[in-house]
Amino acid sequence: MFTQRTLKFLSYIFICLIFITGYSAQAQQRTVTGKVTSKSDGVPIPGVNISVAGTSTGIVTDFDGMYSIEVSGSDAVLVFSYLGFLSQRETVGDRNEINVALEEDISALNEVVVVGYGTQKKSDITGAVSSVASEELTAFPVLSGEQALQGRAAGVAVQSNNGGEPGAPIKIRIRGGTSINASSDALVVVDGFVGASMPPPEDIASMEVLKDASATAIYGSRASNGVILVTTKRGQIGKVSIELNSSYSIQEVNNTLDLLDADEFADYRSSYSDDFTPGNANTDWQDVIYRQGSIASHQVSFSGGGESARYYVSGTFFDQKGAIINSDLERFSFLANIDLDVTDNFKVGLNTFGRRNSTNGVSTQAASGGAGSAGVVSSAYRFAPDLGIYDANDEFTINSLGDDIDNPFATATEKVNERVADLYRANFFAEYFLLENLSFKTTLGFSTYNALRGTFIPTTLISGAGVGGEATVENSRDTDIITENYLTYNEEIGKAEFKFLAGYSYQKSKGEDSFAGAREFVTNSVSYRNLGGGSTYLKPESSLTERELISLFGRINFDWDDRYLLTFTARRDGSSSFSKNNKYAFFPSGAIGWNMGNEAFLEDSELISAWKWRASYGVTGNPSIPAYGTLARFSEIYSVINDEITNAVAVTVLANDNLKWESSYQTDFGVDIALFKNRLNLTADYYKIQTKDLLFARPLPEYVGLANPYQIQNIGELENKGFEFTLFSRNFVGDNFKWNTRFNFATNKNKVVKLPNGDDIIIDSTPGHFLQDESQILREGEPVGSFYGYVYEGVIQEGDDIPEGFENEPGGELFADLNGDGQINSDDKTIIGDPNPDYTAGLNNEFLYKNFDMNLFFQASVGGDILNYTLLELASGDSNATTDVLNAYTPSNTNTNIPAAAVREKRVTSRYVYDGSYIRLKNLSVGYSLPNDIIERFGFQKVRFSLSGQNLLTFTDYPGVDPEVNYRNNNNERSNTNLGLDYGSYPNVKSYTLGVNLKF
Amino acid sequence: MKNIKLLLIAALLVVSCSDLEEEPVGILAPESFFKTIDDLQAAANGSFAYMASEKYWGRKLTLSLLLRGDMADIGDLGTSGRRRDVNNFEMTDDNGMITAFWPQSYAIIGAANQAIAGAERLDGNQEKINEVAAQAYFSRAFTYYHLVRIFGDIPYIDMAVADVSTVDNISKTPEAEVYENIIADLEFAKEMLPDTQPTRSLPSKATAAAYLASVYLTLEEYQKAYDESKYVIDNKGTFNLELESDFQNLFIPDNAGALKEPLFTIDFIGQSRDGDLGQDYLAPLTGIREDETGRSEGGGWTVAVPTLNVYDDWNGRDYRKRVSLDTTAIFNGEVHPFTEFADFSDRGVNRPHIAKYYRYPGVSGSNGRESSHNFITMRYAEVLLIAAESLNEINGGSSEAIGYINQLRERARNRDGEIANFPEDVSAGVSQSELRDIIIRERRLELAFEFKRWYDIKRLKIGEQAFGPNGLEPHPNFDPNRDYLFPLPGDELSRNPNLQPNNPGY
Repeated sequence: MFTQRTLKFLSYIFICLIFITGYSAQAQQRTVTGKVTSKSDGVPIPGVNISVAGTSTGIVTDFDGMYSIEVSGSDAVLVFSYLGFLSQRETVGDRNEINVALEEDISALNEVVVVGYGTQKKSDITGAVSSVASEELTAFPVLSGEQALQGRAAGVAVQSNNGGEPGAPIKIRIRGGTSINASSDALVVVDGFVGASMPPPEDIASMEVLKDASATAIYGSRASNGVILVTTKRGQIGKVSIELNSSYSIQEVNNTLDLLDADEFADYRSSYSDDFTPGNANTDWQDVIYRQGSIASHQVSFSGGGESARYYVSGTFFDQKGAIINSDLERFSFLANIDLDVTDNFKVGLNTFGRRNSTNGVSTQAASGGAGSAGVVSSAYRFAPDLGIYDANDEFTINSLGDDIDNPFATATEKVNERVADLYRANFFAEYFLLENLSFKTTLGFSTYNALRGTFIPTTLISGAGVGGEATVENSRDTDIITENYLTYNEEIGKAEFKFLAGYSYQKSKGEDSFAGAREFVTNSVSYRNLGGGSTYLKPESSLTERELISLFGRINFDWDDRYLLTFTARRDGSSSFSKNNKYAFFPSGAIGWNMGNEAFLEDSELISAWKWRASYGVTGNPSIPAYGTLARFSEIYSVINDEITNAVAVTVLANDNLKWESSYQTDFGVDIALFKNRLNLTADYYKIQTKDLLFARPLPEYVGLANPYQIQNIGELENKGFEFTLFSRNFVGDNFKWNTRFNFATNKNKVVKLPNGDDIIIDSTPGHFLQDESQILREGEPVGSFYGYVYEGVIQEGDDIPEGFENEPGGELFADLNGDGQINSDDKTIIGDPNPDYTAGLNNEFLYKNFDMNLFFQASVGGDILNYTLLELASGDSNATTDVLNAYTPSNTNTNIPAAAVREKRVTSRYVYDGSYIRLKNLSVGYSLPNDIIERFGFQKVRFSLSGQNLLTFTDYPGVDPEVNYRNNNNERSNTNLGLDYGSYPNVKSYTLGVNLKF
Repeated sequence: MKNIKLLLIAALLVVSCSDLEEEPVGILAPESFFKTIDDLQAAANGSFAYMASEKYWGRKLTLSLLLRGDMADIGDLGTSGRRRDVNNFEMTDDNGMITAFWPQSYAIIGAANQAIAGAERLDGNQEKINEVAAQAYFSRAFTYYHLVRIFGDIPYIDMAVADVSTVDNISKTPEAEVYENIIADLEFAKEMLPDTQPTRSLPSKATAAAYLASVYLTLEEYQKAYDESKYVIDNKGTFNLELESDFQNLFIPDNAGALKEPLFTIDFIGQSRDGDLGQDYLAPLTGIREDETGRSEGGGWTVAVPTLNVYDDWNGRDYRKRVSLDTTAIFNGEVHPFTEFADFSDRGVNRPHIAKYYRYPGVSGSNGRESSHNFITMRYAEVLLIAAESLNEINGGSSEAIGYINQLRERARNRDGEIANFPEDVSAGVSQSELRDIIIRERRLELAFEFKRWYDIKRLKIGEQAFGPNGLEPHPNFDPNRDYLFPLPGDELSRNPNLQPNNPGY
C-alpha cells in the first residue's frame, strides 16, 4: 500500500531525475600524473581527492601519494582536496606531471563538520554546532563517550548520575533541561544510526553537538534536547596502521566525611540519650568500604585499505575495580567499519559494533534508607562507629541507633547485584551517485540490546532474613530497526551554490521485559541462579512495547559567493505513540548567515581572518509520550481474594486522543570569529528556548478514581535562555613549542513559565525513611528543581522570641516564621535554593615542547545550590554525626550555629542547602613521545608514554563529600527536577594513570 | 546499475506500509474488556485489591483512624509530623496521611464504578451479573461510608469516568445525600448478594445488612439499625456466622480462613505485594522497638501506642486486654516489662503496645510488614453491639440488648479452653443510660484498635470527654467545632475550586 506521502516523495525523486540531466563535453583526453605531499613535512599523503573541476572525473592518491588522472584540454583545472588541508587548484596547461604540496589548514572555520545527514564546511554552517575532537575524548581513560564530553563543549553539561560508580549512567544536558516530566536526554546518532548508544571514546573520530534549531530540526520530534552526532573512525587509504593504546589507573575516593570516632560518638550520644551504652569497637566505616580502585583500559585497532576497500577494526577492553569493595565493571567491545567502492559512483559499507558490559554493583543512593534498606555509602556515614563488623555471635552487626540497618560491609559484600548487558549493532549503507552532484544514500540498521540483571539478598542481611532470602532476575531486550533513504544534490550557478537534501526514514523499536523472583530459600549459596529453590514467589512480570516512527525530512542550503548563507530544514514525523488525533508532527527551521569576513572591506584585514554572523529560529520536538500512553488502559493489578492471588483489573490510565509532543521554539544568534590568521577562534551564541505543550502529568481531581490520578496532558511552558562562549587559541605555534588553549563558558537560565492551573507542584525527593513529603517545588517564574522547605535561622538563644510549633528551648533549631502568625507550620515553607548553576566552564591547555606534551584541563560549575540529605541525616541525632557536632550548642557554648544534640525530625530546611560551586582540575597529563629517528628503526610510527591524574584538585566551599552530585535522578520522570541533591552517592574518585600509545 | 537503482527504490517502499495505529499486546482496553462474568469479577476484585494498599487499609487510612481516637497515642515522638498532626489535632490540609488515603479511596470507588459500568455492558444471565455487580456496589458504599464519616460533604462520583472534563468542576455532595446513596448501594447489594461467599474477603448478603445497620446507627436511625442487625442475627445460621470461641484466634493470621465471625475482611498473604498493593505496616507501626521476641525480624516501630490510661482503665482480668496489648518484650535475650521499654531504644516508650497485629504477624517481612493478616472490617461481635445499642435507644435497658452484650462477655471468659469468671454478665435492670455507657465501653474494648473508636467518638460527640483532662488521651488542642472532620486535601480544592470551602477551621 502506497500512502499519499510515499507517492509524493517518489514523484519528487523522479522530478529530480528529470531535471538533472548530466552534461559532458567530449574533448581530447590525456593523462596527468604526480605526487601529493604535505607541505610541512614532505610526507606523501594517500587518499587525497583529485577532481577535474566541472566534470564528474575524480580519483584519489595511492599509498605513496601518487595519482594519475585523465584530463581533456589544457584549460582543465585539477582540484586537490583532503580533510585538514587547504584545497589547491592547479590549471593543467601543458604539464603532464603536477606535484602538489598541500598546506595544512589551521583554520577551524574551514573544517568539515558532520551535520544531520551529511557534512558541511564549517564556514557554511548557519547553526550552533560544537565539535569535539578525538584527542579531547581520549585525553584520559573513561568508560563512555558521554563521560568524555564533560567540560568540552559550551552549553553541554555532563554529569555522572552516581559519582564514581563503575558504569554509572551519564546525564547530558544541552542548553539546560527543556522539559519537566519528559526526558531531557540528548539524541545520540552514531554514524547515522539514530538513537544509538555511544561506542568507547577510543573508537570515536569526532563528536558534533548540534545545539540550535537550525542544526537539530532535521531530527524533528526527537531533537529538542539537542543532538550529538558521533562519527567513528574509518579506514584511510594507506598501509595498514596498527595502534595500541593501553593505560592503567589507580583510583581512590576524592574525599571522605569527618565523622565522630567511637569516643567522640560516646560523648555525643550520652549528651542527649540517657540509655546509651557504648559499644566496644572503634570502626571507621568509610575506611572499611573504600579501597584503592583501578582501571585497566586497552585498545588495539587496525586500519588501512586501498582505493576500493578501506577498513577500521578495533577491539577494546576495560576492566574497572571500583573504589568501593565489591563494585566492578568489565567491558569489551569490537567495532568494525568497512567501506567499499564498488564502482566510481557506487559505494557500500558496513558499520558494526558489539559490546558486553558486566557490572557487579553495590547499592548506593538508596531511595529509602529505612530498616534493612540503606545503601552502602549512606550507612557508612550513619552507622555507629563503636560497633565492629561482627558481633559477639559472629553475625553482622546491626545499627544501634535510628532505623535498623545492616552494617555497610555486610551490605557491600553480601548483597548480589549483577548485570550483563550485550549490545550488537550493524548498519549497512549504500550510496549511489546518479550524477556527480546527485547521490542517493540508503541505510539499513539493526541493533539489539540484551540485559540480564540478577539480585540476591541473603539471610545474613536484615531484609533477607525476614523473608528467607530474596532473589530476582530481570531480562530485557530492546531492538531497533532503522532505514534511512535520502537524496543529496549540489548545484553551483555562478556565485550561487545550492545543496538539497530530501529523505525518508522508518524506525521501529521494540522493548521486551520479563521479571521473576522468589523468597524463602533453603540456602544462601545459589544466589539468583535457582529461583525454583525458593518456596514463595514474587509476582512475575512480562511486557512488550513497540513504537514506529515514519519521517520525511529535507534541507536546502544556499550560499551566495561565500558571503550570504541560508538554510532551511524541515522534518515531518509520524509516530505510533502519538495520539489518535495528532499522529504527525512538523518541525521547520530556518537560518541565515553572513560571512562578513569575506566582504571586500575585511578581505585584506590582517586582524580578522573570518567573521560570520548567524541567526536561526525553528521548532523541534520531544516525543516522550510512552508507547500506548494515549490509550485508556485496564491493568491487571495485584489482588488477594480468599488468600490467593487473584485476577483483578482496574482502569489505570484514561485515554487522551489529543496528546501532542512537546515543542521547543528556539532562537539563536551567534557569531564565529577568527583572528590573527586563524590563530584565535571565538564563537559566541545567545539562545532562547521556549518549550510549549509541555508533556505534563497533570494531577487530576483525585475523585476521578485512578490509583495514580494523573494524566499526561500538554500543559505548561518552560523557558531556557543562555549565553555560550567558546575560544580556541593557538598561543604558540613554533616548531619546538606549541601551546593551545580551549575555553568554553556557558550560562543557562531556566524558568517555569506556566503550570497546570498555575498551581505550585510539590515534589518529594527525600529518602523514604526521612518520612517527609516535600522537598522541591515547581512554581511559575522559578527555576525547575527549586528546593522547598523551612528557613533555618540558627540556634534558639535564651530570651529569643520563639514561634510556636517546633522547638522552643534554647539550643533548639529556630526557623523563620515567614507569615508572621506566631506559628511554624507548612505555611512557612519557601524556596530555599536553586540547584541550577549560574555558569559552567571548561579550560583546556595543551603544551607541546619537542617530544613532550602536557595537558591541563579545568572544569567549573558556579552558583548552583546543593541540598545535602546526607548532612541532614547526620545531624538528626539518629545516626553517627560529623565532627561539626563537637561545636554543638551547650549552655556554655552558645555562640554557634549547630543546635544542641537531640533526635530531630528529618525536616528539609535551608540549614542543609549549600553553595555547590567548584573548580576542578579534571585532568593533568604529561606525555613523552620517543623521537622519530629512534622508533622508525623498530618500525614504529609513534611511541608515546603518558602519566596523568584526574580530579587531582577541587576548589570548593561545599561541605559535602563532593559537589558533583546527583540523587534519585536516573528515571526520566524526575531527571529534570531532582537536581543538586546529595545523598549516599558513590563517591567521586581521583585517578592516577599511566598510559602508552604505540602506532606502527 | 539499473538493478541497483531498482533495488534501492524497492528498499524504500518495503518499509512504507504502516498506519501508525498502536496495537498493544498484553494490555487491556476498557471498551473491549467485559465479555464474561469472570471479567466482571476481575473488575470487582480491582476495588478490593485497592483496599489492600499501603495507602488505605495497609497503613494510611487505618493508622489515621487509630491515632485520631483515644485508644492509641503517638509512641515514638520522632515519627513523622503527618502522623503526630493527626493524633494531636494539628492537621493542615496538606497532611500526608489524607493526601494518600483520599486518592486511594477514590481509586477503590473508581474500580467499583468501572465494574458497575461493565455489568451494564455485559449480556447474559442478569441474576448472575447482578450477584457480581453487587460486590462492586458494596465496595463503593464501604468506601464512601469511610469518606463521609471522615470528611462530611465530599465529591460523589457514581459513574465510570472516561473523560476528565465531565467531572472537572463538580461540587461537593452534601453529607446527607451521600448517606442516601450509600444506603441505596447497600440495599442493592443486600438484595443481590448471595447468603454466603466462598470467602469472607467477598461480601455476602449479611455483610451488606451489617453495614446498613452500622450506617443507620451512625445516622441515629435506631429502628432501622436494629432491624438490619437483627436480620443478620436471626439468620446467622444461613449466613454461617458465629462468634469465634477464643478471642485470640481472631488475630492469628493462620486461623483466618476458618473463622466464622468476620463479615468482611481485607486479605494480605504475607511477603507478597506489588508496590503499595498487598503492603501493610500495621504490625510494625504498633509493634515494640528493638523487640526480639522473634515474631518478626527487627521488632516494631512504636508509632501508635495506647496511653497508660488505656491500660490502667482496662480491668486486668479481661482476657481481651491480654489479647489486645503486649506488656513485655525481649531485649538482648531477656524478657523485660513495658516499664523498661525505653531503656532499650531511644525511640521506645514505657507503655504497653498494641498486640492485635504485632503479636502474630503470620508470614511477614522485616518488622512484621507485609503480614498475612486478613484484617476484619466487620465482625459478628459488632453486629451484636449494634443491635444492643440501637435496641437500647428504642427500648431502654432491654434485656434482649443485655443478652447480646453478654454473648460477648461469655466469649471473653473463654481463655483458650479455660473458663474464667470475668468479665461478668451485665445484670438485668440497668437503666437506659447505664446500658448505653456499658455498650459504648464494650465497643471500645471489644473492638479496640480495630479502627472503630474514632467513628464512635465522632458519632457520639464525646471528643471533649475523650480528649479532656480526664480522658484517656488528653489533648487540650481538641476543638469540637473543627476536629470531628478532617480537612479535605488542599491540593484537591485548588484543582477544583468548586469544592471549596474546606471544612470549618482548616
